[in-house]
Amino acid sequence: MMQSIFMTGLGGQGIITLANLISGQASDKGLKVTLFNAKGMAQRGGRVTSEIRLSDDPDLAFGARICAGKADILIGMEIGETINSLSYLKEGGAAILLDYAFVPTTMVLKKEPYPSFQQLTELCAQKTDRIFAVSEAGHPYNMFLLGVFSAVAPEIAPTLSFFSKKSVEQAITTKLKRGLEENLETFNGGYAHGRSLLQHV
Amino acid sequence: MKRSIIGNQAVAYGALAAGIDVAAGYPGTPSSEALNELLHFSRKNNPAPYVEWSVNEKVAFELATGAAWAGKRALATMKMSGANVAADSILSVAYSGTKGGLVLYIADDPGAEAGMPEQDTRLFAQWAGLPVLEPADPARAYELARYAFQLSEACELPVILRSVTSVAHAKQEVEGEYAYTSLKRKADFEKNIFRYTKAGAVICMDQHRDLLERLKTAESSASKAGINSLHKVGGGDLFVVAAGALIPYVREAMSGGNHHGLSTLFLESVFPLDTQLAGEMFEKATRILVLEELEPFVEMQLRSEASRLGWRGTILGKLDELFPRIGKYSQEIMGRGLTLLSQGRKADSPTRDSDSGGEKAAGGPTALQPTEQPGTAAKAAAAPNVKHPITFCAGCPHRGSFMAINRALKKIGLNRDNTVVTGDIGCTILGMNPPFHTCWTEVSMGSSIGLAQGFFWAGVENPVIATIGDSTFFHAGIPPLVNALQHGTNLLVIILDNGWTSMTGFQVNPGTAEQFQAKGARRVEIEGIVRGMGVENLQVIGPFDQEQSVDTIAKALQQQGVKVIICQQECALTAARREERALIYLIDSEKCTFCRSCLRETGCPALYVKANGGKSKHGQVMAIDPELCTGCGLCFTCCKFEAIGRQKVGGSKS
Repeated sequence: MMQSIFMTGLGGQGIITLANLISGQASDKGLKVTLFNAKGMAQRGGRVTSEIRLSDDPDLAFGARICAGKADILIGMEIGETINSLSYLKEGGAAILLDYAFVPTTMVLKKEPYPSFQQLTELCAQKTDRIFAVSEAGHPYNMFLLGVFSAVAPEIAPTLSFFSKKSVEQAITTKLKRGLEENLETFNGGYAHGRSLLQHV
Repeated sequence: MKRSIIGNQAVAYGALAAGIDVAAGYPGTPSSEALNELLHFSRKNNPAPYVEWSVNEKVAFELATGAAWAGKRALATMKMSGANVAADSILSVAYSGTKGGLVLYIADDPGAEAGMPEQDTRLFAQWAGLPVLEPADPARAYELARYAFQLSEACELPVILRSVTSVAHAKQEVEGEYAYTSLKRKADFEKNIFRYTKAGAVICMDQHRDLLERLKTAESSASKAGINSLHKVGGGDLFVVAAGALIPYVREAMSGGNHHGLSTLFLESVFPLDTQLAGEMFEKATRILVLEELEPFVEMQLRSEASRLGWRGTILGKLDELFPRIGKYSQEIMGRGLTLLSQGRKADSPTRDSDSGGEKAAGGPTALQPTEQPGTAAKAAAAPNVKHPITFCAGCPHRGSFMAINRALKKIGLNRDNTVVTGDIGCTILGMNPPFHTCWTEVSMGSSIGLAQGFFWAGVENPVIATIGDSTFFHAGIPPLVNALQHGTNLLVIILDNGWTSMTGFQVNPGTAEQFQAKGARRVEIEGIVRGMGVENLQVIGPFDQEQSVDTIAKALQQQGVKVIICQQECALTAARREERALIYLIDSEKCTFCRSCLRETGCPALYVKANGGKSKHGQVMAIDPELCTGCGLCFTCCKFEAIGRQKVGGSKS
C-alpha cells in the first residue's frame, strides 16, 4: 500500500523540518519514500508545500508529485494556504488542520476579511469527516503537529502503523540541534492531543 | 551506497563519478543545488574538481568549454533562462564540438513554480544541434549525469542534461559512489583553427557538416547504450510514449493491472530521436499516445518520422490540442490520456470531454486541461482565495532602499506612478510588490539599465530610475551602464548591494566580502568598477539611514547625466546566521494609535496586529514580533506618535 501526504503552510513555520522528520521515519523503516519540497519563496513569507509519498512495496513505481484529489493525508499549518490546498485531499482522506492564520499586509490594510478556522473546517468537511482540528497548539507548531501526526498516523492507515512515539523522539534528539527540551516537550504535548482527538474522529 | 538526495545533488554526484575536472555555473532555481553540492564537495575533499560560481552563465559555459577542449571532463550548470545568456557561445561551440566530455545541466520549470518562463530547453537544444538526456527521477539523474560524459566523448558534442523541477527538487534514495576519482588526464589543447575558429565560410560550413554527422553518432551511441526502452505487449497496437519526468507517473498509472495491453516506449534520450526504437514501434502501432510536458517536442519528432516512414496511424498529443502545452501534467491528465488511448477510435475527437466529470478548464480549447490548480476545489465552494504575496524579509536592506526611493520621489513632487522605475531579477524585484509598488518592469538579468535608457530616449516626462541587485549588476548590468555613459543619457542607477546572491540561496558573487570568498579568490568591489568606468556622480549610502538615503536620491534625481547610487548593507539573513542582534524595536501599546503607517510603508513581516482588549480606540494595536525583528529601525522612521522604541537584546528599553 502507498500513502501520499500533502503538507502546506508558510515559510518559517518549520514545515520542511516536519516533512524531513516524517519522511525520515519511513526511510528508516525501509519503506520506499519520495519527498518534494516547494520552498522557493519560503524565506520571504510565501507559501511552502511538502509532498511525501511512501510505499511498503519496494517495487511499486510512482513519481514524487501528488495529484489533485490524491492526497491520503493533508496537513495544513496556515488557514488560508490550507484552503488553497484542499483540492489535493482525496474524498474521505484524513486532514490535520492547525488553527493559525497569517493575514497578509495588504489584507490588513484593506481590512479584508480573512477566512476563519471554522470556514476551513466546514470546507474540509465537504470532502471528509476525518478531520483532526488542532486549535490550541504549543510552540513550535511543527513539533506539536509532529506529535499529533505520530499519534493519529497508525490509526489512519496500516502503511503508517510503524509510527511510534519512541522512534520519533529519537529522531528529534539526533536530528535537531537546537532547543531539544522545548521540542520534545511540545512533541509530547502534541502526541497527547492527537490521542485525545482520536476519540472523537 | 545509498543516500537520500534531491535530483540536483544526484547530478553533482553523477558528474563526480564521471571524473570531471571543472564545474562552473550561475545560480538559478531550480538548478542551483547541483553546483552548490559540488562546491561543498570540493571544499571538503582532496582530490576534487575545480568548482566555481561564475559571473554569469555564458562565462560558466565558456570556462567549462575551455577545460573540455583541453581534453578534461567539464560541467556547466544553469536554469533555462541562463541558457539564453550563454546561447551565443553554446551555438558556436556546437559547431566546433568537444574533445573531453562537456555537459550542460539545465533545469526547466513546467508550472513556473520558480516563477520564470516555461521555456522548453529541448527546443533550444534542437536549435543548437545538441543531444538531450532527460532523466525520469533522481536515481536516473545520477546515472544519466554520469553517462552524459561518455556520450559527449563518443559523439564529440556538448550534451544537454535537461531536468525539470519535479526531478531537480524531488528527494529519494539514490544508489551511487558518492566519491571522486580523477581521470588524471593531461591538459592538451590541440591547435586547430579549422575546428576552433569561425574564420571563413568554408570553415563554418565544414563545421556545420561535422555537427550533423556528430548528431548521427549521438543517436546511435545513445540507442546502443539502451537509455530508452521499448516494451511491446503481445501483438498490441496501442503504444504509450513518455518522456523523462513523466515516466514514473505513467508506470504508476499502469501498475496494478490498469491499462494492461498497452505497449510502452520510455524515452530519456529525447534528441536526436531514437529512430531504431521508433521504427520498431511504428511497425506494430496503430495508435500512439505521447506524454511530455511543455512543448510537443517528442511528438513533433515522431510525427515527422511517421511521415517519413509513411505510417498511417493516429498520434494523440498536443498538436491536435488534446493535451496542454502549459503547466505540468497531473496524473489525472495522464490517466485520462491512457483511457482515451485504450478506448478506441470513437474517443479520438480532440474536443471530446465526456468522461472528464465536467472539469474542463473554463475557456480553454484543450480537452485535457490541468485541474491541479491549488484553490480550484476551494473556489468551487466559494471560499476566500488567500494569497500571501512574497515580500522583503524582516530586516532586509532593500526595504530601506525602496522606502527611500518612494520618499525621495515625494520630496521632489513626483511619485511612483508617474516616475518610471525599472526593476531587475533577484530579491530586488520585490520592490514591485505591496506596499512599495515601485518597480514597473522585470525582463531579464541586467535589463533594468538598458530599458531605462529606452524610456529616457523615448522622452518620458520624469526622470528614469533603474534598480538592480549586486549579483545582477556583475552578471549583465555593466555593459548597459557603459552604454548609458557613452551616449550621454540622463539616468539614475541604484545598485542594491547586499553582498550575496540571496534569492537563489546565498551564493557568493564577486562583491561578497573577502572573508567569504573561496581560497585564492578575491573580492571585486562595485564602487571601483563604477568609478573606473568614469562615473563621476557616484554615492555610496546605507539604506537604513533614511534621512541620508532620501536626500541623496532626491538630489541625484534633479541632476543631469548618469548618476549611480550604491545602497550598501548586508543581506539580513546571512548576517543573522553569524551575528547576534544588538537591538530590537518594540511598540508601546499605550501610545500606538493603530494608524498603521509602519505597516503601510514598510510591509515588514515582523509587524502584526494585536488585540488590545478595547483599551485603544480600535481595540487593536500594532506590535512587533521580537523573534523576527532584526533592529533595522525602518518602522521607527514611520511612527509620528513616538510609539516605537528600541531595546537592547537581553537588556533594557531605551
